[in-house]
Amino acid sequence: MRYFLRRILLGIPTVLTVLTVIFVVARVLSGDPALAVLGESASAEALAALRRQLGLDRPLLVQYVDFIWGTLRGNFGTSLVSGAPVVATILNALPYTLQLTFAGIAVGSLLGIPLGVMAAIRRNSMLDYFLRTVSLAGLSVPAFYSALLLLLLFAVQFPLFRVIGDPSGLDFWGQARALVLPALNLGIIMAGFIARATRAAMLDVLGEEYVRTATAKGLRPAVVLFRHALRNALIPVVTIIGLYSGELMGSSVLTEVVFNRPGLGKLIVGAMNQRDYNLLQTLIALFAILIVLANLLTDLAYGLIDPRVRYE
Amino acid sequence: MRILGRTCVLLLLVLAAMPSPPAGAGEKMLRVGVNDADIATLDPHRGVQTSDKHIMASIFNGLVRFPPGEVNLDRIEPDLAERWQISTDGRDYTFTLRRGVRFHHNYGEMTAEDVIYSLRRAADRNLSSFFKTFEAIDLVTALDRYTVKINLKYFVPSFLGSLIPYHGGQIISKRAREEIGDRFGANPVGTGPFAFQRYAAKQLVELRAHKHYFRGEPKLAGVIYRFMPDLSTRELAFTQGELDIIEGVKEQRWVDRMRGKPNTVMDIFGPGELACVFINMAKKPFDDIRVRQALAHAVDRGEMIAVIGKALATPNLGPLPLGYQGGIDQGLPGYEYNPEKARALLKEAKQEGLAIAIVLSQRSSFVRPMEILQEQFRRVGIDLRINPVDHSTYHAQIRKDVNGLVLYIAARFPMAEPYLTEFFHSRSIVGTPTAITNFSHFRDADAELDRAIREVDERKRFAFWRTAQEKVMEGAVAIPLYILRAAYARRSNVDLGYDLKDSLFLGPEYTQATDIR
Repeated sequence: MRYFLRRILLGIPTVLTVLTVIFVVARVLSGDPALAVLGESASAEALAALRRQLGLDRPLLVQYVDFIWGTLRGNFGTSLVSGAPVVATILNALPYTLQLTFAGIAVGSLLGIPLGVMAAIRRNSMLDYFLRTVSLAGLSVPAFYSALLLLLLFAVQFPLFRVIGDPSGLDFWGQARALVLPALNLGIIMAGFIARATRAAMLDVLGEEYVRTATAKGLRPAVVLFRHALRNALIPVVTIIGLYSGELMGSSVLTEVVFNRPGLGKLIVGAMNQRDYNLLQTLIALFAILIVLANLLTDLAYGLIDPRVRYE
Repeated sequence: MRILGRTCVLLLLVLAAMPSPPAGAGEKMLRVGVNDADIATLDPHRGVQTSDKHIMASIFNGLVRFPPGEVNLDRIEPDLAERWQISTDGRDYTFTLRRGVRFHHNYGEMTAEDVIYSLRRAADRNLSSFFKTFEAIDLVTALDRYTVKINLKYFVPSFLGSLIPYHGGQIISKRAREEIGDRFGANPVGTGPFAFQRYAAKQLVELRAHKHYFRGEPKLAGVIYRFMPDLSTRELAFTQGELDIIEGVKEQRWVDRMRGKPNTVMDIFGPGELACVFINMAKKPFDDIRVRQALAHAVDRGEMIAVIGKALATPNLGPLPLGYQGGIDQGLPGYEYNPEKARALLKEAKQEGLAIAIVLSQRSSFVRPMEILQEQFRRVGIDLRINPVDHSTYHAQIRKDVNGLVLYIAARFPMAEPYLTEFFHSRSIVGTPTAITNFSHFRDADAELDRAIREVDERKRFAFWRTAQEKVMEGAVAIPLYILRAAYARRSNVDLGYDLKDSLFLGPEYTQATDIR
């Protein structure tokens, strides 16, 4: 628990740094939320008046202190463009992003780990070359392109799923069904990373003396592989999954757009385009917190895989 | 391993086989895919974005309107007002309202009180993005429950046109606005054929038929607008029958491709946006008219239209978009395509080898024409360097007067005013406190523009506008390129209920007559 609390406390400066950077970057970027509200025919006077009304004419330092103080009190304000409460807007989209991220990790792990193990067992065989090539393709194909290919295959050529994967308003099974193609899309990309990491880790472990000893003792190959080799090989793989989960949340933007899913990625792009500072800052803060948490969970997972790991 | 693989395949098949009917299945719901990421607001006094206008067109009425599918100031017809009278000096308007018009969601009957509330709100600079349009209003009073009188401080040309359900002319429920408060933009209440039902950020807006609509109960059960900024997905969903209408891209090849699809009707409609290059006279060497004339002579509109597409683009020779009241396209001083003359003018101005660097929105509707211009300028020895930036940055930068050349694509209310004032009056020069979009820094037509908007005599008013346009062209401060119309694909079983020629709402309007056969 002390370790856990310490990690949480260590995460606070990280989140504050991210908040400061995004506050500065958002304002350095040219663009004007007032223009998004009033439209292109608005006069400079009207734009200035709205900026005053939104508090954007105050000195940057005052705005920054106000923003940090508001964040610490949990008051994130309202969207500068729509006037809707920022927290409510984010909470509506958050479950869909979490759904997609976890499903993507699950698909990536379920595909990537077995593929990596198979490639390691049959090292330098045709299967190994094939799996390595496939995993490289998974890493190289842009997310929006693979999303379109999946749609063409499973929604047009073999219409098993709908093109519009919007899960809102659907029951559990409907939501699960709408999740399949987006999760596959993210999972396939992630599987490439995981397969390559698993293969490398397995090759290291399979050369260890304790694996040879276990085999010499007459243990069944499956037991040697899964109980002794794979378990030890998983530590670097879990690290990869933890690190990649943050990136996965970010790279879900294109997947959300192509499959027409709600989510934080789409909110960020919209907030950026409209220079909706309040929404943008809060979203970035949330991403930072989620990534800190993902890293923390990764560290905690080490203990489950390897009992020698202790947290002090 | 094999068991795991089989389990995954089985799970996929089970999920694929699960019936999950979309919302509204079994009903006549019209499903529309729009090329926008979201709305900003459905508050009609604030909504300026394309999707805001498109959706609000089915929620609200004005006192008067254009017939659906038309944009013609001579064809204004009654909407919430049954009839009206205009005083001879054009400053007093008296409207007799329809009786029995019901607001959505049981907010009661629309009366003079709602009209007064709506118009006062439209004129309030703190609440309305369109207060300029209504700033001439002096008084709005109720003569009785169904009669409203509007007194103007001064004459405004076609004030009646401001009262259509567009850019602040919409009538909202006073009671609903006061009860709902600041959340009105996400819970709008109007009198139109469809009532707001639900909104999911970045996903959709759903409207439901207003059964008490005064023109009759809509044939559709509702309309779902899906925000789908990715064209490929919109097109795939349309092809698979998941959408009935999609917004397209303004490109000939897309139009041609969609025309080849079965059960598909293409709607290409105006009034269109004018693509125009404004030349900044405040920057050297554009202060020299010979340089501006050289740029104008270097432009080959025919070639440009051939690339952009004849189905969508029409050459525009004057500084006003084609078809705007008071606009002229013939008989204006013009600059025909003449590269030799352009080179000669540049030589005379000692600007051979002229290099121009500009920032430009990275949207394809901006990049394509500018790349064509880049090539045409190259032929006369001008090196145009383009620095692409995102669209918001572009708008901010051009308002800071950074460009010598500004490409702007715009549509306004279809009349010479406000377009000419916004783009050519000295009050609107960018960088000044009253700036709007005068990127040229042109100031020679102020007198004509000021007199035109106060002139009651239509003939004289048109003459002022004509002179203003002549001066703009003589000064060679703008190079009008073309009018670009909108393109939508519609399934052939969808009947809009009217002939779509023009739409101010930048998308088809869905009325009580719209149906899915």
